[in-house]
Amino acid sequence: MAGASTPRVVLGQLALLIPVGSDTYAVSLETVREVVVDPRVTKLPTSPAVVRGVFNLRGDIVPLLDTGLLLGLRPVMEEPYAVLVETPHGTAGLVATDMPLTVRLNESVGHSDIEGTTETYLVADARLAVALDIPVLLSPGRISQ
Amino acid sequence: MSPQESLSENDFQRLFAMEAEGRLDTLVDELLELEKGGATPEVVASLFREAHTIKGGAAVVGMPHVARVAHALEDLLEEVRRERRGVDTALIDAVLAGVDAIRTLIPLAVAGQEHEKVAFDAEQRLRIAVGGPPVVDDKAAAGPDVTAPAAAPGATPSVRASAAPDVTVPAPSAAAPPPVAPAAPPPAPAREHHAGDGSVEAHGAADGAAGHAEPARATATEMLQIPVHRIDELVRLIGEASAATLRLGSALLERLERDPSGLTEYRDLVRSLNELQELALHARMIPVMSLAPRLRRAVRDLARETGKEVRFETRGDDAEIDRGVLERLADPLLHLVRNAVDHGVESADERRQKGKPAEGTIRLHAMQLGSEVVIAVSDDGRGIDVARVRETAGRTDRSAIEMDDEAALYLIFRSGLTTTTKVTGVSGRGVGLDAVRASLNAVRGRIEVRSDPGMGTEFRIAVPITMATLRCLVIKAGGQAFAIPLHSVRAVLPSQPSATVGGRAMTMLDGRPVPISSLSAVLGTGNGAVGPAVVLAGLTRSHAFTVDDLVDQRDVVVKGLGELVPRLPAVAGAGVQPDGSILLVLEAAGLIERARRMDNGDRSQEAAGGGGHEEPVPHRAASILVVDDALTVRELQRSIFENAGYRVRVAVNGEEALAEISHERPDLVLTDVQMPRMDGFELTEAIRKQPSLASLPVIILTSRGSDEDRRRGLECGADGYIVKSGFDQSALLSAVERLLGADR
Repeated sequence: MAGASTPRVVLGQLALLIPVGSDTYAVSLETVREVVVDPRVTKLPTSPAVVRGVFNLRGDIVPLLDTGLLLGLRPVMEEPYAVLVETPHGTAGLVATDMPLTVRLNESVGHSDIEGTTETYLVADARLAVALDIPVLLSPGRISQ
Repeated sequence: MSPQESLSENDFQRLFAMEAEGRLDTLVDELLELEKGGATPEVVASLFREAHTIKGGAAVVGMPHVARVAHALEDLLEEVRRERRGVDTALIDAVLAGVDAIRTLIPLAVAGQEHEKVAFDAEQRLRIAVGGPPVVDDKAAAGPDVTAPAAAPGATPSVRASAAPDVTVPAPSAAAPPPVAPAAPPPAPAREHHAGDGSVEAHGAADGAAGHAEPARATATEMLQIPVHRIDELVRLIGEASAATLRLGSALLERLERDPSGLTEYRDLVRSLNELQELALHARMIPVMSLAPRLRRAVRDLARETGKEVRFETRGDDAEIDRGVLERLADPLLHLVRNAVDHGVESADERRQKGKPAEGTIRLHAMQLGSEVVIAVSDDGRGIDVARVRETAGRTDRSAIEMDDEAALYLIFRSGLTTTTKVTGVSGRGVGLDAVRASLNAVRGRIEVRSDPGMGTEFRIAVPITMATLRCLVIKAGGQAFAIPLHSVRAVLPSQPSATVGGRAMTMLDGRPVPISSLSAVLGTGNGAVGPAVVLAGLTRSHAFTVDDLVDQRDVVVKGLGELVPRLPAVAGAGVQPDGSILLVLEAAGLIERARRMDNGDRSQEAAGGGGHEEPVPHRAASILVVDDALTVRELQRSIFENAGYRVRVAVNGEEALAEISHERPDLVLTDVQMPRMDGFELTEAIRKQPSLASLPVIILTSRGSDEDRRRGLECGADGYIVKSGFDQSALLSAVERLLGADR
């Protein structure tokens, strides 16, 4: 699964919650570089649908990825927030459809069997958050599929 | 083989030396006549013209010091011509001394020996004779070029042998002449010091890794080791500063309604930043020949292994290229030279039987042509057996059997094709040339091959000098702006009617049908467009794409899209624009392939599978008539244009040019101004007087950049007026391409 070098979500750790439609995902705060509000996205023709486009982050060109499609779920409809995460292959933006919030995670309530995710956590408002396994989820091979 | 006999810079210098000899003789003869009292305007004009021609020739063959002296001589004679100075013994003495100095300087320059001091003194004496102020000696002996700070002559880029990613950068004066060169000869100490060096390397020369690239005379104090990342950071910061300046400009315009281009301070800032950017980009350049030791070593080792006698020659020591691009070329070049030893060069016995020297020759030749570096790997071996290639490919692809020789030759780039029956450790596995081609695609390079049975083979690689900036045409398609590298734009056509031929939409270009598609449809971002069409040239074929609109032309700092984005054949990269938006740069070859597949549907499965061969587009090469009385300049221009794929004819003066034109109309005329019998202005006027030639594009190329000359040039009907002080090949080629593009 995940490479040992990249932090994964563990109990008591600070995590960022990424709302995607009706679902919520969590990434370790150590992986997150920043959150960009309303990124100005340039569409990337001929790219796989999972790549929503690219945007300018202070002179760097960063791809914005469809978090839903990455997990094999429904595509997102809009991209009001981009959560920038560091991966072994560079920085990428994950679409959040609502404002991402920081939380301290409680104990895992179970394993998640969606590929590219690890555990499920109970977060505020009785919501479940599925922790993302960034190195697995954001590998060049997976994105080009 | 048919390695096109390209002349190296040193060849041009020798050619110039011969030509200058004759001109100097004429100069002395006429001068003596002048002394006898024959100061007719014709004699004075002729003297002036000789000096002028020598100056121009010296500048273009990379002898800046000779050019400086000739320039001073020209200025002195100009004073006489304009009757601002009389003819007296002092004048004759000064001119004769100038002639003698040039005679002394040229052989030194050809031999690559120090001659700057002699030139400096001679120039100073001539300047004094003019009555003007002597040239200021700045102690650094940097000559009159003071555009770059801390000039240090003789600094030549070199590469350290260590594996550390450092480059040694030359002191700034060795940078390429800035595109907007002053009228003075270009600063090119680096070129000159290399002039006599290394055009042929003796067989079995030391293989010391650093041996070749070491500059002849750079001393420790002139060179500085700088980590590459620091230079990269510098380039990036300068780029950001430029972008910020542009933003500042648009803010001024929007908020204060002041056009920033009217502000001297703003213009100065922009100009300084441009110069800074140029210098910084140049700091990343290293000589192509820094790869030579590795290649020579590979040739020697493989020759020993296969029991062949092979000598390895290099030419083009001064061709430089971005370090990043060169790194990507190392493996392809290694592959090509190994192939040449293994497949190309025959055994000594076989060669003797064929009447060839026992020792085969493999030559690596690099030269800069405009914004590209062309690197040729040639051998004098057996050549490629095209029949065998065709037969081998024909076993899996019947269409190969039908191909003509030229098309069949390119089958060698197909994956899995080998004609070698035995598999050796080095070649014959059928992997390789397709990988070479793929590596070159990654740096936007292309490869060509020529082969003469029994005579040899030549592979030519053309790659952009830098991946950093790219001149692009910006268009809109499907509502989105895209940049298309200008080098792949063949033509722009107004909104075109298209006809359907065999189920495929076609339009006409140059009297030939070209397939046409909607760009947004090919990109999947929209349906049709009714705007203009942009005709793109891929590696081997052309295709027209309709767009919504043309926007403008700009230089785009191209960046990759990162590792996370899969490789998109139609997208070369992207650039961040001053307003913060991202402009995608399209890739012609990938677009054309995509358009073809969409056109062909299933029919092209085969092509998709094999990365298959495409027959070259047999488009007619445009013909250029080069008119110049200086042999060196003529031949240099011939070489530039022929290498760029044009047909070239030459004429030595206006009269001869008119005769050539009436014999066969060229597509473009490029003429010098100062010529005997009929000068460039008169020629242009004569061309414009003939109604049948009214649309023939004429470019005046001159080393005189005065406003008066420029005005006269344009008044007499020239389409372009180029000052050749820096002899910027890319500017020349792009001017020609622009005019021909508009014409065709």
